[in-house]
Amino acid sequence: MSALGPKSDLLTLAERLVAAGKACGADEIEVAVGDSEEFSVDVRMGDIESLVEAGSRSMGFRIIKDGKTASASSSDLTEETLARLFRNAVQRAELSNRDPFSGLPKLSPLRVDPESLDLYDPEVQTLDAIIKIDLALETERTALADKRITNSFGASFGTHEIRSVLASSNGFSGEFRKTYCSLSLGLQAGETNDMVEDFWFSSETHFRDLETPEQVARKAVERTVRQLHPRKIKTQKVPVIFEPLMTSSLLGFLFGCAAGTSIYQKASFLADKLGRTIGNERLTVVDDGLLPGRLGTSPFDAEGVPTQRTVVVDKGVLKSYLCNTYAARKLGLKTTGNSDGGGVSPNNFYMEPGPKTPEEIVRSCAKGLLLIRTLGHGLNPVTGDISRGAFGLWIEAGEIAYPVSEITISGNLGEMLKNVEMVGNDLEFRGSICGPTVKVAEMTVAGE
Amino acid sequence: MNETNLIRPIPFEDHFGLSKEDLQRALATALASGGDFAEIYLEYRAYNFVMMEDDIIKETAESISLGMGIRVISGEKTGFGYTNDLSPDKVRRAALAAAAIAQSAKTVPAIDLRSQTLDHDYYPVGEPCHRLPLEPKIALVKEAYLACQAFDPAVTKVRAGIQDSIQFVTIANSDGLLASDSRPMVKLTCTAIAEKGALREHGYSGGGGRVGLEYFRSALGPEEIGREAAREAVGLLEAREAPAGEMPVVLSPGHAGVLIHEAVGHLLEADFNRKKTSIFWDKFGKKIGTPLITIYDDPTIPAFRGSYNIDDEGTPPRKTLLIEKGVIRGLLQDRLSAGLMKMPLTGHGRRQDYSDIPIPRMANTYIAPGESAPEDIFKSVKKGFYADRFQGGQVEDSGKFTFSVSSGFLIENGRLTAPVKQATLIGSNIDILNKIEMVGSDLMFGLQTGTCSKEGQDVPVMDGCPTMKISKMTVGGRS
Repeated sequence: MSALGPKSDLLTLAERLVAAGKACGADEIEVAVGDSEEFSVDVRMGDIESLVEAGSRSMGFRIIKDGKTASASSSDLTEETLARLFRNAVQRAELSNRDPFSGLPKLSPLRVDPESLDLYDPEVQTLDAIIKIDLALETERTALADKRITNSFGASFGTHEIRSVLASSNGFSGEFRKTYCSLSLGLQAGETNDMVEDFWFSSETHFRDLETPEQVARKAVERTVRQLHPRKIKTQKVPVIFEPLMTSSLLGFLFGCAAGTSIYQKASFLADKLGRTIGNERLTVVDDGLLPGRLGTSPFDAEGVPTQRTVVVDKGVLKSYLCNTYAARKLGLKTTGNSDGGGVSPNNFYMEPGPKTPEEIVRSCAKGLLLIRTLGHGLNPVTGDISRGAFGLWIEAGEIAYPVSEITISGNLGEMLKNVEMVGNDLEFRGSICGPTVKVAEMTVAGE
Repeated sequence: MNETNLIRPIPFEDHFGLSKEDLQRALATALASGGDFAEIYLEYRAYNFVMMEDDIIKETAESISLGMGIRVISGEKTGFGYTNDLSPDKVRRAALAAAAIAQSAKTVPAIDLRSQTLDHDYYPVGEPCHRLPLEPKIALVKEAYLACQAFDPAVTKVRAGIQDSIQFVTIANSDGLLASDSRPMVKLTCTAIAEKGALREHGYSGGGGRVGLEYFRSALGPEEIGREAAREAVGLLEAREAPAGEMPVVLSPGHAGVLIHEAVGHLLEADFNRKKTSIFWDKFGKKIGTPLITIYDDPTIPAFRGSYNIDDEGTPPRKTLLIEKGVIRGLLQDRLSAGLMKMPLTGHGRRQDYSDIPIPRMANTYIAPGESAPEDIFKSVKKGFYADRFQGGQVEDSGKFTFSVSSGFLIENGRLTAPVKQATLIGSNIDILNKIEMVGSDLMFGLQTGTCSKEGQDVPVMDGCPTMKISKMTVGGRS
């Protein structure tokens, strides 16, 4: 923590609350306090639509007494409320059952100095409001200059600065600051009865890394107009190519299935599959909390466990589940630093890129679907079954032929992982879950 | 012991430590740079949670949320600030943040807040959950858990939980409105995992609403919730892959209300029409579907999750006719859109919490009952798909929508035959609204557990419909 200078007021508060919780009778206690500053501007059709500026602070804690757990959280940080919440929690713990797997993790040292993770950009806080508003306005203006665009959902620019502190009765005491900024744009093209829509965004820790208004606008326009005048297709089985955002969504589903909390509940098709082959040799998936400057990076998780690099799938073999302390104990494994307070969350969860360019992957398809958007939530972690509404570009003889819509794609994640035929070289870290272009050998595409 | 808001105004000062004068002062600060309208939204929410898994009461939780959002409207623009520290300087800072949207300093006429009293209460609460100790709630959770586990030996994992909350809101605005609401909510849910050999399936059920704990003794018992979750999981072990392609689809009463929510409700929210992004924006008063369908959104149905005495802008809601015999008749309005469109308020301005700007939202959306007997609807289908239980759906402004079926049946020669697994259905709303061929007389509502997401804000909703037949729709199965 030394790089942050003297201990902050927030950390002092958390440490004081740990002592107060112990005094109330808790055997173990963990207190998190978060402070956030938010700015966001939405513009639409050349004018500001909304401007938000605010700060907030909240806290949460977990106590264990006689092997029984109770937790609480509050955005009311008055002494009186917090004292009541502690008293209630200690009493409430009595009503739970003793759980041999409960309890805080053992204290372990951080792997890195939080400052070395490069999570804070001072420029985000000093940016003038006029500049932020202009970024959003310019993004939308650039896109609207394209005559194929008929309407706008608006452009947004936002910044967040977050300070997280955690103190526990196991001796942990830590804090870090993080910044986040984003620029996004949503568009419509086509006439009222034949409209298509899409969006693009850029989000980064550092303001200087953000895509320019020109880049965001150009990408949003291109993604929208390529869907104009879609056709319907017959129901058939074809190869499906996932664009990077679509792969990310698939990986989000995989994360949920590899979460230790789902595994011990048997709420995942990956339960009992540790050490087994779940995909082919092209599939390597990693969770890494230590990548400098990335959106999913942090020095420690919500239990004060140091984050790490965890290989989840290595050339098709399931190497690790992602666990908090509780799930790890239930499964007889080690925590991977993925606790989010209630369950588990990804750090930077990504699929290793492969050798092919996205263009090569499209060219490899005699006939197939380039998946560009999905609609709906048809994902079942227990079976791995997937069925979603889809929008795409139809591929014939290795070329994009025409857009298609009102179709669904369906398959099973377990089978799809084994049918990964090509992996693209276009991995970009746009969020905490990301992947490159991926070609799956065969899925059912339902249409007419 | 019926706790109501009737006549008796709720003393908001007790919850927030702010007086009427404090609110008037903050509203004046917010309007000091100009603007047409200013509004304060104060919220206090207390939430309790009990969870059982692995045969033990594993965890309990309590959560307090307290804060204030303040906005200024100037033409089509909104300035917004929020804080969860209600000390005078932080309130002032939030008011100044909201004020930044307007640019023309002006003298603000004195604001005289007048408390509004309501002559209605849509929350029929006998035993308010937030006042009860945890023991009776734990008892309900155990009953649901054990009933689920005992339903069939194939049930291998169960998770049951109860969540209750009380949300106290006060809205004050520069028109002089001062209104409060105290909204109870409870939800008891159960999930089951069933196994047979290498097969593993999942089932879910739940219930609740803006009711007291007595609901689970009188209206819907915990055992029923537990058994229903088990029944779905065990039933799916025998299910085959859903079909793929276009076919006739029959929708189950109640649960299939999600179709109306997605296909119609969202695109009749006023903001999408004011901005002309909704396919419906130029079709007001026009026929967009079969005369068999009439659709309402009604936030005034007692006990329902989607109901409220006032919306989050202080407007008492009204039952709103959206579609009458296939013709668009109404929109769901909030203050901003209604003002700009010069249309009446309907009481559908809602927000997730104090840190969000209110937007037009659905409450309880449903299709009015039709004339067909449900058995005649089945008889009319030679070969088709029966969509029984649902996972939710999504729509885009062009009218393309999906909804995901978690379990269904094949229909063969007018009868339900093989159970089938999950499938997503996709269509275009106007096309599907014209393909609704039969509407049953059996209006029902889905589980009292639904939540709707829009622009990152989640609010509780309900939806309902009778048994309905769609002549042809794309079913996204695998076989």
